[in-house]
Amino acid sequence: MINPILLVAIPLLAAFLSIMVKKLSGVFLFGVSLFTAIGSFFIENGSYVIGGWKPPFGINLVVDDYSFLILAIVNILFFLTLLNGMWDLKKNSTVLLVTLAGINGIVMTGDLFNLFVFMEIIAISAYILASSTEKYYSVFKYLVLGTVGSSLYLFGIIILYGTAGTLNMADLATKLPDISGSVKVLAFTFIFSGLAVEAKILPFNSWVRGIFGNSNTLTGPMFSTVYATVSAAVVGRVFGQILTIDTNLIYAFITLTLMTFIFAESAAMASKNLRSILTFSSIGQAGLIITMFLLGGFYAALIQLVNNAFAKMVMFSIATKTYSSNDDDNIDNLAGIFRKHYMMGLSFTVSALSLIGLPLFFGFYGKINILQTAFATNMWIPAFILIGSIVEGIYFIRLLVKLWNPGKEGEESSEEAGTSHNILNGFTVSIIALVVGAVFVIAGITPEFLVENIEKAANSLGDINTYLSSVMGGI
Amino acid sequence: MALNNIIIQGLLSSLIVFFLTKFNKKVGGFFTIIFSGYLFFSLISYQNSAGEVFDLIKFGDFDISFITSNYAWFFSMVLLLTYFLVSFFNPFWMKKLINPAAYNLLFMLSMVGTLGVFYAKDFLTMFIFFEIIVWASLFIIPMGKSRKSPVIYYTISSIGSFSMLYAIFYLYNTFNTFDIETISSAVISNPNDYIFVFFLMIMAGLTKLGIFPFHTWLPAAHGSAPHTFSPVLSGGLVKVGGFIAFVVTAVIPSFNLFADHMQIMGVPFENYLIMVLGGISIVVGTLMAIKQDDAKKLIAYSTVSNSGYILIGIAMVNQVGFAGGLMHIFNHAMASGAMFLAFAGVAYRTGTTKMSELGGLIKRMPLSFAAYLIAIISLAGIPPMSGFASKWMIFQGLVSEGQMFLAVAAFFGSVGSFMYVFRPLSAAFLGQLSPKHKNVKEVPFLMQIPLIAMSLLTIFFGVFPGAMLEYISKIQQSLGIDGIRIEGTKIYANTGMWDSLVVTLVFGLGFVVAAIFFFMSQKAKKVDQMDTYTSAEFIHDPDMYHYGKKYYASFEESYGNKKRVEILFDAIAMRVHEFGSMVKSWFFGKSISVSLFWITLFFALIYFWGDIV
Repeated sequence: MINPILLVAIPLLAAFLSIMVKKLSGVFLFGVSLFTAIGSFFIENGSYVIGGWKPPFGINLVVDDYSFLILAIVNILFFLTLLNGMWDLKKNSTVLLVTLAGINGIVMTGDLFNLFVFMEIIAISAYILASSTEKYYSVFKYLVLGTVGSSLYLFGIIILYGTAGTLNMADLATKLPDISGSVKVLAFTFIFSGLAVEAKILPFNSWVRGIFGNSNTLTGPMFSTVYATVSAAVVGRVFGQILTIDTNLIYAFITLTLMTFIFAESAAMASKNLRSILTFSSIGQAGLIITMFLLGGFYAALIQLVNNAFAKMVMFSIATKTYSSNDDDNIDNLAGIFRKHYMMGLSFTVSALSLIGLPLFFGFYGKINILQTAFATNMWIPAFILIGSIVEGIYFIRLLVKLWNPGKEGEESSEEAGTSHNILNGFTVSIIALVVGAVFVIAGITPEFLVENIEKAANSLGDINTYLSSVMGGI
Repeated sequence: MALNNIIIQGLLSSLIVFFLTKFNKKVGGFFTIIFSGYLFFSLISYQNSAGEVFDLIKFGDFDISFITSNYAWFFSMVLLLTYFLVSFFNPFWMKKLINPAAYNLLFMLSMVGTLGVFYAKDFLTMFIFFEIIVWASLFIIPMGKSRKSPVIYYTISSIGSFSMLYAIFYLYNTFNTFDIETISSAVISNPNDYIFVFFLMIMAGLTKLGIFPFHTWLPAAHGSAPHTFSPVLSGGLVKVGGFIAFVVTAVIPSFNLFADHMQIMGVPFENYLIMVLGGISIVVGTLMAIKQDDAKKLIAYSTVSNSGYILIGIAMVNQVGFAGGLMHIFNHAMASGAMFLAFAGVAYRTGTTKMSELGGLIKRMPLSFAAYLIAIISLAGIPPMSGFASKWMIFQGLVSEGQMFLAVAAFFGSVGSFMYVFRPLSAAFLGQLSPKHKNVKEVPFLMQIPLIAMSLLTIFFGVFPGAMLEYISKIQQSLGIDGIRIEGTKIYANTGMWDSLVVTLVFGLGFVVAAIFFFMSQKAKKVDQMDTYTSAEFIHDPDMYHYGKKYYASFEESYGNKKRVEILFDAIAMRVHEFGSMVKSWFFGKSISVSLFWITLFFALIYFWGDIV
């Protein structure tokens, strides 16, 4: 068993060291990320006080089943992303180490202000990482919106601090009923808006197109999986467990998230580039997952979170690899590319089908849970979700059919009509993609072996009392 | 053998054929025959089994389990037989397909999928296997001639399956179960709720059957799928939609449920609406089939029309018409399977299915011709083929209940079917042999087997329809409907009786007389296709002067060539596209200030929304 603080401290330490010993920075990066990926399995539930001051006065990290699950997923994803994107690492090792510290901090922190600090850390790292693609205007836009978001978030927590006198999550949760409704509306709206920038909720997400759509083999999988998972998980923690919304405000938020889902899916339908399609699909999925969190369907939300994270990792790493090999990712020009790269094609297909939620793949289990949750609320939400997922299915099927079967319309599909593009250096990507694809299929047939931990995490998120007693036990 | 084991073996066999095909293409093709035959024969023993439950796996909080029943057996036999017979063509297509291993895998997978749908104990299992069929068959289609048609197929079919899914979860939310039997007894107390579910659920059936206005995927997908898969799609998978319609109208007793509702011509309006859609499909399918030049598109449209018959029969849920609808499922599977296979054989030898490029193949491919002839006689509903029996019963059902509008549609479809099924016969098989196809041979022996088998089955059940109707009568009784009355070869309906043996004898006699006249009369002179001239010029391009071109020109011109439903769907797709582009420019444009505007608007709305606290 290790102290979870190490998951934040060691990456930070390594980041400092990597500045001093530049030559070893790559070694530090891979070593530390491997350590956190393994180490995240060896942490124990509980509240860890930092600095000697007990909560609510001091800073604390909380490990419960929820943060345990997210930590494990995120750290594994981080490590796999590094493997996939090692050709585009450049000089970003230090930044990535800081990112790693930041995401582990975000997941475990028990304090809303601390959360803000960690979010700023990963946001700044994200700006630096994104600028490695040399699309500076997109990065600038990201920077502006990110700043707007964090100031809104800061406004929100200031209001809460002014009324409740605390920013410790557990303490705040107990004091929440005493805060007057209008104050809560104001504060929650600000906080939600702040989180929505990173969580890619409309209308705070206009930066995503430029950043995701121009991503390279490192930033693509990094943003679409690690960042996406963390930012959705934070919304789940904050609005699912701590700041529970009991007013009509929830409908305003759900309208936004559902709009995000449907709008983004139709935008993906109107896109022609592989990365661009995946970008809008990521936005759509974020909308869906956060809708589930807001509806209180934590189990469904977490299943979809896992499903989306791993599927997007496979798809984004293949897509960005394709782009970096050919400087082109228009799907018409890529027709038949999977015929040449069978393994990647197979795993891409499995991931896409799992994301759409077709049976025999893990995503289907997510889909029926989503519907079950949505139906428990009202009749309209599942209808919207189904309409969105029809659109989602259509563009993914269109994509897959094209990438597998070259040929002119009206003629038999044949190898001769295939693209001349190739995917270079795809070995690591294929292996990882294949493993993930296999897991999707196995979990699609017997979901039990994956969902046990997810269920525990969902239960712990739904159960505020355990959280409170683990944090406030010492008071 | 236990049903769940059979299904697991089926799933495993699909993986086995995948790797076998990777190893050797031909071997993989042969193994699809072996495995599909194995599945077919191992299921025969379930003929009289009912109510036996088999668990497959536990899927999270849900159980995936199967239950045997006589109607499931009936449907599964039709489907597996179609698959089994079609699989004889597979080995010959392995070289032509871009991805034979995936083809064989998906072929087997979709086959197992149909079993899962038919034997499903609960709606969730049914839905799972339904979707497996969709995506498995979906990825076979683009190996053929079109990359667009699978997308159309997926779109239409997911409209159906998602509305079914919605209905399933609506039921689950109400009754807390997916179990079909429990639900069908539970809905009786609340029939008004079921109206909603009925229409949503049957959407899956309509889309799969290719009922108007969802028929557009049939010509697109069936017409451009690999030649060996079109018969499966048209003869087999369409019937899965028939099964969904069957479950929704008959297994859940829609007639009893809706008995107090508004009636149109003696039928609850819910069922009547469905029947009307069936009637429209008959007319639309017939009219569109008449003017196709591509034989495969023509057969696809004929499937639309025949799906209409099946749906009308099933939605009637009565003694005679319902039995006719069920029997038509088998007849159409055999007939359209044989038609598609005959043309697959033609394509195998000549490389085309365009009628204006063919002609005179009767001399070169007599067996394919005979199989095609028997199939179209059955499809047009002429005795002594089995298609007559089912169509006769559907007509009887309609007429005896006074459904005059639908009867008109049904008769129209029947007359129209003479026109369209005759066109490929005369244009491709009769007439003059195109010089391009001088050296064409009959299809190989293995490919002849399914043609012979389908023809024999069609004739057998035409002469002895009782053999099948007895079983259908049992199905009807187990669903609480009066069974169809049969005595030997006599079939009784409300307004008349029909003895298939007598009819066959009369037709046989007529055939003999006609043959005598034929052989006694003078032999016709053989003229080569190129042995002609026009405007004092010899013809050099055989296709230009082919009489199969614009075969029914005057008739076709009378109703134009606009595909109105396709245009409508394209327009809707266009709107989604435009909406997506709009979202991109409104919310994801270049300018930062636009997004700041939206953010401000969001806060303003929250601020002005008074009711929020």
